[in-house]
Amino acid sequence: MRSRLKLAVPLLALALAATGCTSSDNSDPEPVGSTGGNAAVGSYPRAETLYTTGTQYGPPSNWNPLMNWTYATGTVGLVYETLFLYDPQADKYQPWLAESGEWKDKTTYELKLRSGITWTDGKPFTADDVVYTVQLCKLPSSTYSTLCTWLKSAEAVDKSTVKFTFSKANYQEWANWVYNNPILPAHLWKSRSENETTSGANDKPVGTGPYKYLTHSQDRQVWVKNDGWWGAEQLDVAPKPKYIVDIVNGSNNVALGLVLQGSVDLSNNFLPGVSKLLGKDSGYGLETYYDKPPYMLSANTAWLVTNNTKKPMDDPAFRRALAHAVDTQQIAKVVYGDMVAPADPTGLLPIWDKYVDKNVTRELGFSYDPAKARSILADAGYKNTDGNGMVANKDGSKIKLTLMVPNGWTDWMEAAKMIAQSAKAAGIDITTATPDYNSLVDSRNSGKFDLVINNDQQMSNTPWTYYNYVFRQPIAEQQTAGNFGRYSNAKAWKLVNELDATEVTDLEGMKGITSKLQRIQLTDMPIIPLWYNGLWSQYNNSVWTNWPSASGSNHYLPTTWRGYWQLDSILMLDQLKPAAAKK
Amino acid sequence: MRRYFTRKFLIYLLTFFFAVSIDWAIPRFMPGDPVQSMLSRAALHPESATAMYDYYSNSFGLDVPIWRQYLNFWGSLLQGDLGTSVWLYPQPVSSVIANAIPYTLALMLPAILLSWWAGNSFGAFAARRKWLDNTALPFAYILNSMPYMWLGILLAWLLGSVLDIFPLSGGYGYGLQPEWSLEFIGSLLKHWFLPFASLFLVGFGGWAIGMRNLIIYELESDYSHYLTALGAPQRLIRRYAFRNAMLPQVTGLALQIGVIVAGALVTEIVFSYPGLGNLILQAINNEDYFLLQGAFLFIIIGVLIANFVIDMVYVLVDPRTRTGMRGATS
Amino acid sequence: MTDANLMTVPDAAADPARRKRSEALYFAVRNPKLIVGGTVLVALLLLAIVGPYLTDNPPNDYVGPKASPPSGDYWFGTTTFGQDVFSQFVHGLRTTFVVGVLGGGIAALIGMAVGFTAGYRGGRVDEFLNMVTNIVLVIPTLAVLLVVSAYLKARGVLVEGLFVGFTSWPWAARAIRAQTFSLTARDFVDLARLSGLRTRRIIFREIAPNMSSYLVMTWILLFGGSILIAATLDFIGLGPTNGTSLGLMMNNAVLWSALQLGMWWWFIPPGLGITAVVGGLYIMNVGLDEVFNPRLREL
Repeated sequence: MRSRLKLAVPLLALALAATGCTSSDNSDPEPVGSTGGNAAVGSYPRAETLYTTGTQYGPPSNWNPLMNWTYATGTVGLVYETLFLYDPQADKYQPWLAESGEWKDKTTYELKLRSGITWTDGKPFTADDVVYTVQLCKLPSSTYSTLCTWLKSAEAVDKSTVKFTFSKANYQEWANWVYNNPILPAHLWKSRSENETTSGANDKPVGTGPYKYLTHSQDRQVWVKNDGWWGAEQLDVAPKPKYIVDIVNGSNNVALGLVLQGSVDLSNNFLPGVSKLLGKDSGYGLETYYDKPPYMLSANTAWLVTNNTKKPMDDPAFRRALAHAVDTQQIAKVVYGDMVAPADPTGLLPIWDKYVDKNVTRELGFSYDPAKARSILADAGYKNTDGNGMVANKDGSKIKLTLMVPNGWTDWMEAAKMIAQSAKAAGIDITTATPDYNSLVDSRNSGKFDLVINNDQQMSNTPWTYYNYVFRQPIAEQQTAGNFGRYSNAKAWKLVNELDATEVTDLEGMKGITSKLQRIQLTDMPIIPLWYNGLWSQYNNSVWTNWPSASGSNHYLPTTWRGYWQLDSILMLDQLKPAAAKK
Repeated sequence: MRRYFTRKFLIYLLTFFFAVSIDWAIPRFMPGDPVQSMLSRAALHPESATAMYDYYSNSFGLDVPIWRQYLNFWGSLLQGDLGTSVWLYPQPVSSVIANAIPYTLALMLPAILLSWWAGNSFGAFAARRKWLDNTALPFAYILNSMPYMWLGILLAWLLGSVLDIFPLSGGYGYGLQPEWSLEFIGSLLKHWFLPFASLFLVGFGGWAIGMRNLIIYELESDYSHYLTALGAPQRLIRRYAFRNAMLPQVTGLALQIGVIVAGALVTEIVFSYPGLGNLILQAINNEDYFLLQGAFLFIIIGVLIANFVIDMVYVLVDPRTRTGMRGATS
Repeated sequence: MTDANLMTVPDAAADPARRKRSEALYFAVRNPKLIVGGTVLVALLLLAIVGPYLTDNPPNDYVGPKASPPSGDYWFGTTTFGQDVFSQFVHGLRTTFVVGVLGGGIAALIGMAVGFTAGYRGGRVDEFLNMVTNIVLVIPTLAVLLVVSAYLKARGVLVEGLFVGFTSWPWAARAIRAQTFSLTARDFVDLARLSGLRTRRIIFREIAPNMSSYLVMTWILLFGGSILIAATLDFIGLGPTNGTSLGLMMNNAVLWSALQLGMWWWFIPPGLGITAVVGGLYIMNVGLDEVFNPRLREL
C-alpha cells in the first residue's frame, strides 16, 4: 500500500504537468472532440490526421518564420506563405500569394498580388505586408540583410501591386528570394522591436496558410486545418489532413519503429536499412519516391571539402588524384544500401542536369580509379619514399591527412572510414576523426582542417546558389557559409556574379556561364563531389495513400523539412487520399 | 544538535557554490562557439551571417570577458534567471527545464524509492533462505550487472518491437491531447512503464544483493548469536538484523544517487522519453551553455537535497550518530 | 551500478589482524561464488586475449555479406555493413578489460589516498577532503564526462579509462575513510603513533595491511563500475573514436536500427559481454567477502 502511494504521487505530478503546461500554451483552445466528429474527446481522429517526423529535433521553441533554422516544423509553408512556389523537378515558378511578377525594365520588378486573401485574424493581405517584409532587410539581425545592398526601394503602388527598384539586378538571387521568404502580417509586426521581430518566439502565429496553430508540447507540434484558406477557392487546392501532428525526433531508429508500426505516416529521417523493408511482400506498407535505387529524390550534394590553403591539398593535381581515389559507388551501396546515388563529376544535382556540359565532363570528368590516382600522383611528383605504400610530399615530408566528420553522424562516419580505406589503396594516407559537431564547425570555418565532408547547399531554383557555395569570394577569417576549402579564383567568382545577373528565363546564357565554371571546377577540383544526399522520405500507406512517387499523379516533394514546403511540398497534402476505411 | 545542523548546512552551501561554478565553467571549455554552430544551421548569405553573429553574441552576453560572464551568471542566477537557450531560442531555460522535469521526476523518484524498498525487502527475505538464495539471487546479480541502456534495449525489443505491447517512444500517445481522462492517463502510464522498469530492475538487483549480504553479517554477529542463545524467536532476531542493516543501505542510497541519475538520463534517451536526458544530450550537441548549466543546476540541487535529507534521516534513525554527530555521509 | 552496497561495510577490518593466508586459500577454492565468478571472468579474459587471433577479420572492415545472421563463417553474424560481429566482440572485450582495470585502478588509488588521509588525519583535513568528495559526488559526473569527452578531438580507450577513474572514486573514498577511522582508534595504531612513526608509514604499515581484503574488494567493485560507466559513455556516442568497444557496438546497433530490423545478433552479444564481465566481478566479490569473513561462510 505504501509503495503504491509513492508511485502515485509523482505520477500525479506528471499528469498534472502534462495537462497543465500544454493547455496553458494553447493560444487557440479549439475543442478537438467537438470538431472531430465521432472521435473520443481529446484525441485526433486517426483517419483525419497526418503524423510526420524528421524535421524537429527538440521541443518546438518558436514559430518565428524569420528564424529559418529553428522554427517549429511547418511554420513556413503551413502557416506563413511565400509569394511563389518553385517546382524544382519541372523548373517552374508557381504564383502563390502573388498573382504574377515581372521585370518591367532592367532594374524594376513589379509584383501583382492575389486579392481576397486574409490573415487568420481576419485582416486582409495587402501590398503593405509585402513591403514590410522585404524591408526587414534593413535589420542587421535579419537573415536577408544583404538584400538591402542591391534593393533600392520597395513601394506599394496600390493595395495589390508592389514595385521594386534595384540598384543592381541579381535576377537569380531575386527569383530565389521570392519563393523562399514568407510574407508577414505588417499590422501585427510593425510595432515589434528588432529583437522581437527577428528572434522573438512569436507564439501566436497568424498567417495566411492552410493550417493554424493548435497546440504543442515537449515532443510534438499540432496544426489544424484553416477552413477559410484562400487556396481552396482560388487554386482548387485542398490539403486533406485535418490535423498535422509533427513528432519531435528522438532518434532515427525510433522513427523507423514508428513508421513501421504506422503510427507515423511520413518520416523524413534517414532510416538505414529501409530499402530492405519496401515492397508488398514485406507487409509494412512502406513506400518511397522511387521503388528502386536510389529510392529517394536527391536533395543536396555531399562534398569532400579539401583545405586548399594547406599542403598538399593546395595542389590541383593532388586534389584530382584524391577525387579518383574515392570509391563513391561502394559508399552508396554499403553505407546507404543504395539509397543515394554517386554524384556527377560536376556535383550538380539531378534537377540541374540540363546545366551539365557533357563535353566538359567527357573531357575532364573522373570516376573511381585507384590506378589513375596513383599515376596522377606519380606524374605530379608525389613519391612513395619509405616503402609503406603511402606517398609523401614533394619535399619528402610525410602526408598524413585527417578527414573529420561530426560525431554521431553515423552514415558519414561510416562513409569517412570507407574514404580513408579507398584512399589508402591509392597511396594517400587518410585517417578519420569524429570531433563533436561544434568543434568541427569551429575548425572548418576557421580553416583548421585537412578534409571534411559538407552538404550545406540544398537544392534550389538556380545553380547560382551552388556555384556561390563553391566559389564564394572574398575569403574571410571565418568562412561561415560556403567555400570552406578557401579556394581562391577571381575569374570564377566573376563568372558566378555574371550568372547571378543573368535573367532566369535566359537558359542559354546561364548554360554558357555554367559550362565555363564547370571547366574551371573540373580542372582545379576545388572541392570533390561525393554523392547526392537523399531527400529522406518514407511513407506508410495504411492511413493515407497516393503518396508522392515517380510514377503516380502525386510527384511533389515528399518532405516537411524547413525550406521545402515552398518547393511544392505543400501540394503533396492536396494529393493525399485517405486509405479505404478498414476497421 | 543545532550547531551540527548549521555546520552541515554551511558545508552544503559551499559544496553547492563549487559544484555550480564547475558546471558553469565546463561547457565554456568546450571547443567551438555556440553562436557559430547555431548560425551554421541557418540558411543565409555569408555577409548576413557576420551581422547576425554579432547580434546573437551580444544577446547571449558572450561578447564580454569571461570573468564578467561568470559574475553575470551568478547575478542572474540569484534572481532566478537561468538565461535563454541557444538551441531552443528564444525559450528561457527555466521554462524548457520546467517542461521536462515532471517526466524525469516521475521516472526517477518511483524507480529509486521503489527499487530501494523492494530490493531491501526482498534481500532481507532471501538472506539465509537456501532455495531463494540459490534461485533468485543469481538473477539479482545479473540485473545489477546490466548496463541500464542494454536492459532498456532488451525490454524495448521484446515488449515493444517483437510483442508490440508497449510503445517505444514519447511521453504519451501521439494522437492524444493532455486532459483528465482514463485514456490519457492510461497512455501516460503505458509510455512510462518501460523506462521505469529498466531503471527499477537494475536498482532492485543491487539493493537486494546488498541487503542479503548485510543481513547475513548481522545474523552472524555476536548480538544475534546471543539472542538466539537466549531463545529469542527467529523473527525477532531478523527484525533487529534488518534494522541494523538498513543504516548502510541508507548511506548507499546517498552515494548512489548520482549514478542512478546518470542511468535515468541514458534510459530516457533510449526510450525518447521527453525528460531531461534528451535535453542534456541535445544541449551538448548544440553547445547550449545555458541549457546545460540549467540542467546541471537542477541535478546538483536534486542530489544535494537528497543527500541532505538522507543525512537527516540517518541522524534520526541511528542514535550513535546523534552522540558523535558524525552523520551518514560525513 | 557502482555498488557501494554490494560490499558489506562493517567488520572487514575487525578480524584478527594478519589472518593465515592458507586458511583463506582453503576456503577460496571451496567457495562456489568465487569459483563461478572467477571462471566466468577468466574465460572472458582468455577470450579477450586469444579471440582476436581466432579471426582474420579486422573488427571495422567490411568483410562479409551484409546483415547476415550467425553462421559457420561469421559466428556472431555480421553488421549492416558486413563487419564481423565476433571480431568486434572480442576486440571490444579487450577494450572493456582495459577500461575496467585502468578506470578501476585510478579510482581505487584516488579513493585510497583521499580515504586514508581523511580518516587518519581527521579534523580540518577530513573536513576539506570531505567537501571535495561531496562535490565530485554531487556533480552529475556522467554529464561532465559527456562534456569533457566532447572536448577531446581524438579519444582513445586510455583517455576514457582515465576520465572514468577520475570521477568514480567518491564512494570508495568514503568507505575507506570510515574503515580507516575505526582502525585509527585501535591500540596498535596508537602504539605506532606513540613510537614516533611518520603518518605515511603508519598508514602503509599498520592500517592498509589490516584492510587489504577490503581494499581488494573495493577495487573489484570499482573495476565493474568503470566498465558500466564506460559502456554508458560509448553508448551515447562518446566512446573511443578509432576503435571498438562493446558500448560502441550497442550504440551502432541501435543507431542502425538493429532492433527494428530484428538483427538481435548485433546488440545482444555486447550487452551480454558487459553483463557477464561485471556480473562475474560482483559475484566474485561476494565470494571473496565470504572467504575473508569466516562468519559469512555458507553453513
